[in-house]
Amino acid sequence: MLENVIDIGNAAQGFFIKSDRFKTTHISYNFYLPVDKEKVASFALLPFILTTCGREYPDFSKLNFKLNKLYSANLFASAEKVGDYQLLKMGISVLDDKYALDGEELVTRAAELLNSLIFDPLAENGEFSKSDLEREKRKAIEHIRSELAEKRLYARKRLIEEMFKGDAFGVPKCGTEEQVAAITPAGLFGAWQEMLSRAYLRVNVISASLPANVFENVKERLSGIERSSAAAVTKSIPLKPIYAAKRVEEKMDVAQGKLVMGFSVLPGDDERDSAKLAVMCDMFGGGPYSRLFTNVREKMSLCYYCSSTVDKRKGFIMVDSGVEAENAQKAEYEILRQLDVMKNGQFGDFEFEASKKSIINALKGYGDHQDTLDNWWTFKCDSDTPVSPEEYAEYVSAVQKDAVVQIAKTVKLNTVYALMPKGAD
Amino acid sequence: MDKKVFESDIGESYILATLDNGLKVYICEMPQFTSAYAVFGTKYGSIDTAFSLNGGQPVAVPEGIAHFLEHKLFESEEGDAFSKYAETGAMANAFTSFDRTCYLFSCSDRFEENLDILLSFVQSPYFTEETVKKEQGIIGQEIRMYDDSPSWRVLFNMLGAMYINHPVKIDIAGTVDSIAKINSDLLYECYNTFYNPSNMFVCIAGNVDARAVLKKIEAAVADRGANEITRGGIGEPESVVKNYVEQAFPVLTPIFCFGYKQKIGSPFRRLKSKICVELLLEIICGESSPLYKRLMDEGLINDEFDFEYFTGRDYAAAIFSGESENPARVADEIKKEIANIREHGFDKKLFSAVKCAAYGDALRRFNSVEMTAMQLTECAVCDYDLFEQIKLLKTVSYDDVLKRTDIFDDDLSVLSVIKPQEG
Repeated sequence: MLENVIDIGNAAQGFFIKSDRFKTTHISYNFYLPVDKEKVASFALLPFILTTCGREYPDFSKLNFKLNKLYSANLFASAEKVGDYQLLKMGISVLDDKYALDGEELVTRAAELLNSLIFDPLAENGEFSKSDLEREKRKAIEHIRSELAEKRLYARKRLIEEMFKGDAFGVPKCGTEEQVAAITPAGLFGAWQEMLSRAYLRVNVISASLPANVFENVKERLSGIERSSAAAVTKSIPLKPIYAAKRVEEKMDVAQGKLVMGFSVLPGDDERDSAKLAVMCDMFGGGPYSRLFTNVREKMSLCYYCSSTVDKRKGFIMVDSGVEAENAQKAEYEILRQLDVMKNGQFGDFEFEASKKSIINALKGYGDHQDTLDNWWTFKCDSDTPVSPEEYAEYVSAVQKDAVVQIAKTVKLNTVYALMPKGAD
Repeated sequence: MDKKVFESDIGESYILATLDNGLKVYICEMPQFTSAYAVFGTKYGSIDTAFSLNGGQPVAVPEGIAHFLEHKLFESEEGDAFSKYAETGAMANAFTSFDRTCYLFSCSDRFEENLDILLSFVQSPYFTEETVKKEQGIIGQEIRMYDDSPSWRVLFNMLGAMYINHPVKIDIAGTVDSIAKINSDLLYECYNTFYNPSNMFVCIAGNVDARAVLKKIEAAVADRGANEITRGGIGEPESVVKNYVEQAFPVLTPIFCFGYKQKIGSPFRRLKSKICVELLLEIICGESSPLYKRLMDEGLINDEFDFEYFTGRDYAAAIFSGESENPARVADEIKKEIANIREHGFDKKLFSAVKCAAYGDALRRFNSVEMTAMQLTECAVCDYDLFEQIKLLKTVSYDDVLKRTDIFDDDLSVLSVIKPQEG
């Protein structure tokens, strides 16, 4: 695998990963905007409306028909928070030309289609089409509501809201139902213009060979747009430690309780620090060898699941567990006790080595998936010295036990969120 | 050992070896990838609740026992399999579905060591009354977690209304009451029946050396004498329990599963027939279809809308699912569209487009060692050739697909709805 960075100019960068493992070419456009509490919902709607129809394909059935004829070319869209930025991703994955049964030029056509959808939407007089907007708003609202119904997701989302009150990161990644409902055709058009003029753009291409003119075409599209306020992505501001942890409890008509605990952690400065943090968090609650899995779930049978994840940009760890109401207090105590084990370095070589091997095993396999590679480089946008998954694996391999203990010592409980069945004490 | 090589014109090939002990081994070498993926499985799932072995007395076992056995096999006298994988760094997992139980791992190095671990723990059952009791607690929590999942409930409520006797209607993990009846003797009985190499398969895809791997498997999997398994006659009537079922849940938008039960001719659907039904479903309500556009424009469905041809031993159903403020209207529109297609046929251009897309999807699966291994698993359970699907997609005709409208009978349809709680 070989990575090439191409400066497109105008606050845009091309990134080509040459790989002959796949039968498809994968192209993604990644727009980074600072998270703005007021505009988060409008921006989040853009990737979805733009990949559903456009001036060339005004009707999504026609667009889908075209995608079918391109041998099921796959248009993808997402809106995520990456630290203090909102990342709007739109892309296409298409079968390479050599597999077309009638010699069609699939990759060029797919790249043109994607360009046309992003830069030439179905809009008139500064407004998106009302019917398209209403459809996308309805879908977004129904999505927000369905997440409320999946209690594990809901509990995690509530913890983030509580932990980041006052920080733009605390807003839901696609905004609230009320914010979505308030989006107007003109407002969304303004958001689209703002995305094109203010967002930093990174175009990732993963393929056996670089498709003709793929970056030149981006340059041409951007050339007519005033982009002086678009700037490269910088480091996010991490969560600050607090002295007294917050507690929030809600009751609902559920069979099983959810206990989610948020901790602040010092994220460090560079990729080597990030590797140390990754090992610490994984040992604590990553794989089946972790402190939380082997103790809280297996030995004590307190939770059906109990695991931890880390956000290295915003500097926090989240422990997520499904727990019977009568076990909630015991589980919380045990989770904190396991954190103390980490801080005091009372863990064994077994989980330390297992964790490193597991992370390295996963990292080495990243090159086997186009979307994983795409995400890896997309998420490295704020790093001064971004490294490949293979290089990062070397950093993980070099992590020492002491470094894990030092990082664990910076972990501090911030917020406990509990969702418990009605009637439970 | 009997060995066959299957070739294709898309640059992939695989080996199928049938060992003397009956074990089927599928290997697809994909040297351009870093990682490899292996599955060791048995044709034994949640629907195998009644059987007899080698002509003996029929046995009925508690619901959920296949899944229970899957959990328990990870443990041995010397500790659990996860701790062995922890020493190699591989990612390991297992799952039980209606008709199979699979143990798997993926790794980017030390493949043969990992394969040793897999072959060894699946062949080393170890259950005691104490460990069974502990597992009853853990699985009880898992069952309760699924009880809170509306998307899981809506499917099983539909299956419960669709099937009168077939155990496909039972939750894969069973119920808290059914798993309470499981003991170590029953687990050994199920293990000895279904975990015989003649009922099992190994599927591997990725960066491996097929010859070396095959040699290792041959040495590691013991011959335990062929078993003759007779699965209980199900006697499923050609009718449904009821056409509508609903449950209130703390959701904000109703969710639904709408399915057509298919009358069963043979235990397994033939591959061609399966492909034709899948193409027909795309034509009825895929994203390019007129019905999909109508439902979307009228606000009756969203991106969660999906469909599948749900098939296995002695059962088959076409299932449409999603979120909707008006599930009954969606079901009605689907019924009308099927009637319309049955009477007037469908757009030939649309047929050519969905065929083209299905061909692209079939090739795309070779982008991943996991997907390739999982496809081989499907081949092992259903006795297909992996490349047959790609060949068939080039040759199936309009009439082949139109004929498959025969699987839809409105009297055998069931609508299951999860509706918001009042108040």
